[in-house]
Amino acid sequence: MSLLEFECQHLYPDGFSLDLRLNLEAHFAALFGPSGSGKSSILSMIAGLTSPKEGRICVAGQTLLDTAAGRCLPPEARNVGVVFQDSLLFPHLTVESNLRYGERWRKHKRRALDFARVIDVLEIAALLDRYPEGLSGGEQQRVGLGRALLSGPELLLMDEPLASLDAPLKARVLAYLERVVSEWGIPTLFVTHAQAEVRRAADWVVLIENGRLLADGIPEEVLTRPEPLGWTDSAGPVNLLRVEEIEEQAGLAIARVGGHRIQLPAGPLSHRSPLFIQFSPAAVVLSRNDVKDLSSRNHLTGQVRQLIQISGDVFVAVDVGQILWAVVTPEAASDLELAIGLEVTCLLKVHSLSLID
Amino acid sequence: MTPNIPLLSAEEWAALSLSFQVALCAASAGLPIAVLTAYWLARSRSPIKWMVDALVNLPLVMPPVVTGYLLLICFSPRSPVGGLLASWFGVKIVFAWTGAVLAAAVVSFPLMVRAIRLAFQQTDPRLESAARSLGAGPLTAFLTIALPLAKRGLIAGWLLAFARSLGEFGATIMVAGNISGQTRTMPLAVFSLANRAEGMDQAWRLVLLSILLACLALGVSELLERRHAVHQR
Repeated sequence: MSLLEFECQHLYPDGFSLDLRLNLEAHFAALFGPSGSGKSSILSMIAGLTSPKEGRICVAGQTLLDTAAGRCLPPEARNVGVVFQDSLLFPHLTVESNLRYGERWRKHKRRALDFARVIDVLEIAALLDRYPEGLSGGEQQRVGLGRALLSGPELLLMDEPLASLDAPLKARVLAYLERVVSEWGIPTLFVTHAQAEVRRAADWVVLIENGRLLADGIPEEVLTRPEPLGWTDSAGPVNLLRVEEIEEQAGLAIARVGGHRIQLPAGPLSHRSPLFIQFSPAAVVLSRNDVKDLSSRNHLTGQVRQLIQISGDVFVAVDVGQILWAVVTPEAASDLELAIGLEVTCLLKVHSLSLID
Repeated sequence: MTPNIPLLSAEEWAALSLSFQVALCAASAGLPIAVLTAYWLARSRSPIKWMVDALVNLPLVMPPVVTGYLLLICFSPRSPVGGLLASWFGVKIVFAWTGAVLAAAVVSFPLMVRAIRLAFQQTDPRLESAARSLGAGPLTAFLTIALPLAKRGLIAGWLLAFARSLGEFGATIMVAGNISGQTRTMPLAVFSLANRAEGMDQAWRLVLLSILLACLALGVSELLERRHAVHQR
């Protein structure tokens, strides 16, 4: 029995058509695609807020929709929680009443979460008596998440929960999402058009373009496909290396990533987990041989896995234990005779790296 | 009904209290229907929406006398509706104070719907979707989310309808007549006084009172709007 079976066709009045078949087992899955690709429509169909013309949706073995059998459960009868992009807190209710809203109408069959534990994990205890309009974006999003959790869903749907937040806040709210997933293990499907979020959080990714399924699989593999690189609003590939271990040696911060040792910029060491090293593909220098006598401290050797040319740039995916992206000019790519399977060394300046948690 | 206020005669006092009674009943009776109509108009994408919209707004643009004439035809004891009301419930509409209520309710209905509809349109319908996804049925979502969020619109709409009902003349005189002590509301009393030779001098007190009441209603509704605007920020 899979977690989610989704098979729907729908033609929108503006001519956009959605025709998609999905089968999800994963616990933290991302729906990834450019704006207007139909990601949010899929969530809205699963939640029952819109109905497809034809289709079938099952969550955890329960049929929510089956147009052939004339079955369509209303949203309140589906055990599905939704976290909206703009959180959609009820402005006339306090944070506590917002959180308890789902509690009031919850059917007994829904799983019950401990209220105190939820506000503890999300760190919103201090906000309970306040009204949504006085909360910051990150606080609103956490309350929205708590509200959805407390309705006791079998499946949590998140519609670009981080899109309206700025970068430092994104990382913090993402950390809350990860805590929620590890605490309660509620299967989650989240919509995003940011590669970094997928690479960081998801254990499964579904690639969607123009209302069609392009590919699905684990992020490492699916994100090396050429299509996501062409999406103008996905800001290209990002490098996000998961740090396995971090230590201090003679005043230097050293991170272990896939058997490599990476020197990090000096600064206060964070021991939080998960921890990531972030840098731009443009900050990577590629070399056929490992060269000495260079100022760059970090030399990572790996095999070229993918070469993709997009509007005058060549994106190179190198497998150094984790996938790392470099961007070079077509001339450089041909001079180096870059090809899939070739062994290259990636040179990284310490100061082009940043550590995020 | 003792005229304690020395400024007002017994007749004036009767007109004032009848006007209040009629306006109170008209605005309150119209409210639930106006709420449902306004909600439907704010949310529906039905192809016949424009027809309902036009029908609701008709009393706003039609001469009140014409509205009164139509009501008179519909609710006269000889008509099917009027006959039914009379024989089943013993309710008399024509030439009774209930007729004044009906006339005022119909004429003020579009104003009330407008104010409430605006309030519903200003609330995000997705908030109700959020409520549904949290397990609330459509009626619960309406009662706990849409209605409280439109509260100020409801109050403003009621006040507007109340003020409009206080001043209703054309439709009222057609349906309820102008019977002193029974259906003679303030505007009708002013009209009656003005028609008498010495009445013009006596009418000014009721005229002043009418202006005062109108200002009061506008002031209260303005105050609510302003507090609402502050609240929204």
